[in-house]
Amino acid sequence: MVTDNFEGGAELPDEITSELKQKIVDYLKTVSKAKNREVARAIDADKHLVDKAIAELSKEGKIEYLYLGASFIKLKEN
Amino acid sequence: MGRTDIGPPDYREMLPDFIKKNYGKWRYHETIRPGVLKHVSETGDEVYTVRAGSPRLLSVDSIRDICDIADRYCDGHLRFTSRYNIEFMTDKKANVDGLIEDLKKIGLPVGGTGNSVSNIVHTQGWIHCHSAATDASGIVKAIMDEMYEYFTSMKLPAYVRIAVACCINMCGAVHCSDLAIVGVHRKPPKIDHEKVLAQCEIPTTIQSCPTGAIRRHPDPNIKSVVVREDLCMYCANCFTVCPAMPLADPEGDGVAIYAGGKVSNARKPPMFSRMVVPFLPNNPPRWPEVVDVIKKIVDVYASNAKRYERLGEWIERIGWEKFFKLTGIPFTEQHIDDFTHAVETYRTTTQFKW
Amino acid sequence: MSEETPLLDELEKGPWPSYVKEIKRAAKKKKAAKDLLGIQELSYKDKVTHWKHGGIVGVTGYGSGVIGRYCDQPEKFPDAAAFHTMRINHPAGWFYNTKSLRELCDIWEQYGSGMTNFHGSTGDIILLGTTTENLQPCFDALTEKGFDLGGSGSALRTIAGCVGPARCEWANFDTLNLIYDLTLEFQDEIHRPRWPYKFKIKASGCPNDCVAAIARADFTIIGTWRDNLRIDQVAVRNYVDHGFDIKTLVVGKCPTEALEWDEGSKELRLKADDCVRCMHCINKMPKAIRPGVDSGATILVGGKAPIIKGAYLSWVLVPFVKVEPPYEEVKDLLRKIWDWWDENGRTRERLAELIERIGLKNFLKDLGIPPVPQMVYKPRANPYVYF
Repeated sequence: MVTDNFEGGAELPDEITSELKQKIVDYLKTVSKAKNREVARAIDADKHLVDKAIAELSKEGKIEYLYLGASFIKLKEN
Repeated sequence: MGRTDIGPPDYREMLPDFIKKNYGKWRYHETIRPGVLKHVSETGDEVYTVRAGSPRLLSVDSIRDICDIADRYCDGHLRFTSRYNIEFMTDKKANVDGLIEDLKKIGLPVGGTGNSVSNIVHTQGWIHCHSAATDASGIVKAIMDEMYEYFTSMKLPAYVRIAVACCINMCGAVHCSDLAIVGVHRKPPKIDHEKVLAQCEIPTTIQSCPTGAIRRHPDPNIKSVVVREDLCMYCANCFTVCPAMPLADPEGDGVAIYAGGKVSNARKPPMFSRMVVPFLPNNPPRWPEVVDVIKKIVDVYASNAKRYERLGEWIERIGWEKFFKLTGIPFTEQHIDDFTHAVETYRTTTQFKW
Repeated sequence: MSEETPLLDELEKGPWPSYVKEIKRAAKKKKAAKDLLGIQELSYKDKVTHWKHGGIVGVTGYGSGVIGRYCDQPEKFPDAAAFHTMRINHPAGWFYNTKSLRELCDIWEQYGSGMTNFHGSTGDIILLGTTTENLQPCFDALTEKGFDLGGSGSALRTIAGCVGPARCEWANFDTLNLIYDLTLEFQDEIHRPRWPYKFKIKASGCPNDCVAAIARADFTIIGTWRDNLRIDQVAVRNYVDHGFDIKTLVVGKCPTEALEWDEGSKELRLKADDCVRCMHCINKMPKAIRPGVDSGATILVGGKAPIIKGAYLSWVLVPFVKVEPPYEEVKDLLRKIWDWWDENGRTRERLAELIERIGLKNFLKDLGIPPVPQMVYKPRANPYVYF
């Protein structure tokens, strides 16, 4: 659903918590690849926040992007 | 790790002073000769633009040559157009002849303005693309050699925009060009079952097919897919999501030619290009069959269309039946649409021409 | 490998500048360019491509901007075995100073094949061919000089626009400023793919649409105006006095018969209500006719090439909007569209395909945009209506 004040998110935390990032990492351990939307649904978190958290994880070098007709994220293999 | 998300350079740093001074103040322009524009500002300032063709694929040394010319005549600035032409701007009219002379020395033709054939918008082709059904740069070079006189003059009824896409993904506005050359396959994918298992997701692959031609392999022990060949129209969407299903084939691949598209709203609204030749073989290095058809259409258009009439507008006026007659291009069963919006193209009137 | 390229050599002939000469020029300095030439010659012989899918390559923190590419004959062409492309976000309007261009050339000579595209179809500077190891140092060197990567994959693609007010009298809004502003605002959307598929934004300053925004952008912004054409009768007479056939070439070609030529008073009359602002008369008489002054843009959505469900031209969403900094209206609309598409779209489903599947009516309802007749050519003919 699209809401009018999608950016407002008064009840949502506007900071990316390490807890959220950990949830994302834990989910990615269970799949070979995922779209951001699937991650948000699986861990029941706000999509915009998940997008931001994934951006941070990417900058930290913890996840990487896979392109296979469309883009996906996955845990970076070390 | 360096900086991230800084974005592109600020365009304001890239503008020469005479552009900055007249930004948003332009009054009118005229094309003083093929390839040379004169823009006049409300302030009375004038800027001259010399437009040069480019092969798009440029070595860094050639870019340095181009920079040398811009340093010599254009206060160290230049720009590119949406069709890969290079524009050299100067506020001194006296610079124009020298600019043209120096461009000639490095082999760049001046033109592409007004009622001309401008540079061909195109994709990577065999230079860099994994899904290419044909080359792009080679076809472009072969066609532009033949269209050279139309690039350096303005003698056509209206401008003619040509585009080349090396597959039906069509990176670029190929499908709304006066003339579009599109790489096509004609054979269904060849499936490597072992690779499917390793590289592909079967549900995604099945879902990727717009005609529902892909099914699970009937043998449950083989974790792969099969293609119903009678349903396949070779779009290669499955190959994009599953690298184990290549369609490329030396005999099956070639190009189709489309005509009559436009994006400008001038006179008629934008329109799609329509199929005029369903298939011509890949015949490198110069694709003579393709060049012949393009030349034929442009020549027939040049001698038949009314002034300022775009190719598609001309065809609409004379009728497609007349177009096929005048160009001698055969009309075949492949010209009749049978995809998603096909019925919109079926004629529902007794009005036609003979 | 054989160093002879008899097929490609044919493309050095003829008057049009030759890309083969360009590759050969780069090949004098860079082995990768030499192998590129060999691969191209082999394709000319075999009539198939010799490039493979990319997979995972990129720079840290980004999921965009690098197109992974491998040759299927690595033993034969070891110096182009990995030949990745870097897409560099061009400056708005494709304006450059030579200092920046030379810096770019130096970086690419150091880290890449020395071959480029100026530009790619979407608008980026394309740096063609480098190794996996060189990607990160090349990127770091580029950002050091003020350049950044463009979009690729399921991301916002590099935004492009026409020359606009920098050198065109028909710019109905500042295309360069708009696309620069949007590009900076949406860096995360450009660099980190998160949507069902690609999303393109293009801006043309007038209905001539020099960047083909209507054909190849999911979000198309085309400049127009709401008031009347400005006609300078003295300049009109000047055209006519110099032999310009105004009756045939302008009045007769007006698609809505909105112009009349009064032979007696030598005046061009506008029936303002009939004018659809198509640009024809302005294009042919730029000294005499100009767009109006109540300028803005039409926003259209959905333009795309055929894959998968067929090609679409963008459809009118907002017939007229003022386009002025800080462009909040445009940005809000974009965010709403992205949320709707991301929520409802299937993987690899472009916006137009989703709108067609779910219905323009429902799209408008979800976005809170009231329907207006300017959105359609004509109302429906069938009676199958959901109430």
